[in-house]
Amino acid sequence: MTARERILGRVREALRERDPVEHPGAFEGWRPRTPRSPVDGLVHLLEAAGGEVVHQPNLDAATSWLATFCGGFDSSAVGESVPAALRPPIPTASPDIAPLGVSVARGAVAETGSLIMDARDGRRAQLLVPTHVVFLRVEHVYATLREALLDMADDLPSAIGLHSGPSKSADIGQILVKGVHGPGRLVAVLIGGDE
Amino acid sequence: MSFSGPTNYRRESAKAIRDKPEVRDSVTAATRTFDAHRVHAWGQIDADRWRDWARDVKTHVLTHLDQYLEQAERQLTSNGTRVHWAESADDALTILGEIVREHGVESAVKAKSMLSEELGVNRHLEGLGVHVRETDLGEYIIQLLDEPPSHIVGPAIHRSVDDCRKLFHERLGTPLDADPDELATAARDALRAEFLAADLGISGGNFLAADSGTIALIENEGNIRLSTSLPRVHVAFVGIEKLVPRLEDVSAFLQLTSRAATGQPIGNFVSLIQGPRRSDEVDGPEEVHVVLVDNGRTRLLADEAAWEALRCVRCGACLNICPVYRQTGGHPYGWTYSGPIGAIIAPGMLGLEEALPLPHASSLCGACVDVCPVRIPIPELLVHWREKAVEQGLTPKVETVGLKAYTKMAQRPGLFSAAGAVLRHVPLGLGGRALPVLGGWMQERSAPKSSAKSFLQMWKEGIE
Repeated sequence: MTARERILGRVREALRERDPVEHPGAFEGWRPRTPRSPVDGLVHLLEAAGGEVVHQPNLDAATSWLATFCGGFDSSAVGESVPAALRPPIPTASPDIAPLGVSVARGAVAETGSLIMDARDGRRAQLLVPTHVVFLRVEHVYATLREALLDMADDLPSAIGLHSGPSKSADIGQILVKGVHGPGRLVAVLIGGDE
Repeated sequence: MSFSGPTNYRRESAKAIRDKPEVRDSVTAATRTFDAHRVHAWGQIDADRWRDWARDVKTHVLTHLDQYLEQAERQLTSNGTRVHWAESADDALTILGEIVREHGVESAVKAKSMLSEELGVNRHLEGLGVHVRETDLGEYIIQLLDEPPSHIVGPAIHRSVDDCRKLFHERLGTPLDADPDELATAARDALRAEFLAADLGISGGNFLAADSGTIALIENEGNIRLSTSLPRVHVAFVGIEKLVPRLEDVSAFLQLTSRAATGQPIGNFVSLIQGPRRSDEVDGPEEVHVVLVDNGRTRLLADEAAWEALRCVRCGACLNICPVYRQTGGHPYGWTYSGPIGAIIAPGMLGLEEALPLPHASSLCGACVDVCPVRIPIPELLVHWREKAVEQGLTPKVETVGLKAYTKMAQRPGLFSAAGAVLRHVPLGLGGRALPVLGGWMQERSAPKSSAKSFLQMWKEGIE
């Protein structure tokens, strides 16, 4: 007998006289109704978690914003799915040395304030850089995490990262510090919605 | 340094309170903060309904565990993840050793994982000549100090900022008056080099979705994302109780666990891992291994009452609220899982004889059951293990003899009042220590003064 068979055998033996319990059904996210729209909810939580949020009405405005923002950086690492209009006008560098990373989020979740980062965009540019700029189309904001996971279930990459704020820790004497391992600065740029 | 087992809990807890009073201050301050955050976060949702739902899903999984394990294995395999089964810590370490040999692993980075602490992963890897580095800041601190974790969520909560200043000064050369930001930057720089060099990343798993084969991990630092993304091999140790039926169920557990642990709507980083790097991806590990670990869990599952403790999501809320845990932190409990949850899973996983002091490390105040996000009836299970200990004759001889003597005496009114009269005239401070049961209580406390009259006398004379 293998370890697998022995473990499953012990599980079955333990459950032999136990009444099975049914799954309670879908999680309904019970929470008090708030007047916030999904986009407002996302912005509220991202900012509360220490993230920065910028809102640009369209792609052109986002391109101009990026040109100004990049003035403070000498190079950047860019995600695979970033369109030409959103590539920073500065030299590219590998994520382990670049001071800036630019990615596109696959979507976002209002109830948790999360940006959905797809592994196909490249994980290193999402994680190794001190400052992470993430572009997001406002129509890609899901109200709940459950909706987001159901919607992505048929097209899952090797990994999804939910980024809901900058890297932080309170492990040193319970005092909050930012930028421990991942980006210490997270800038979400919401595009659209105002046209 | 590793744990020596729960057997010496009484001695170790007394020693901690006497010799390290500053630990009580650090732990109490940290756990009060954690708990205040939880209270605030639960106030924003209909927490009772979330908790009922989470309890029912976990109970459903546990009562169908064999089916969900088989489903998860099929799905993980079809995602390209290699699945291993480990009955014991030794099995799990052997599997890890084979992966290390196969890939010629020289260095490993570790994401915080209580299961890897339980298994003794670090010591084993060091024995194989692998350089292993804890990357969670709290775990890094205690690895440098050669200490085990003191709390499920905050492993270094027993250490003050000053402790960290001294440690980092000696090990990383930071100034003795460095602020926490400078300390964290020094740790980031030291660890970044290790991340980039490591061949192997090791993690646990908060949840494993059976339908999609997704390993879900919650954190705030980003070190788990890095440990599971940069090295070419990723090994995740997952307890068999971590299964949830569907990926959509994970959404609620991620949020409830974060709210219970740190009061956040969700951890700042969540990893949802489906398997190794695919052909259309530019980075990620080439191999992902999931080691499904029993190590006492099926033994706990077989207990007619305590199996409910396997619903635990390791949020630490019951530690944060526990007045007994707050006095000492986790070290005196003598094994990986401390506090109320540790006290009810230890007898099931390690055996009652080995874990016996822990179900007594409680005043049965019941605060823990009020905060448990999956409604584990912790006080009932503490009593359950105490009763089992009596049934199996595991209580101290002197307690058994003492209680028998008391029973005989209490049945004879003359003898009872005579004994009472004698005891009232012996100063408790002197004689008390010699008495069974009372003696143990008196070891750590000063004696109260005896009343001159018995309660019965006062009752007859009319109590004012």
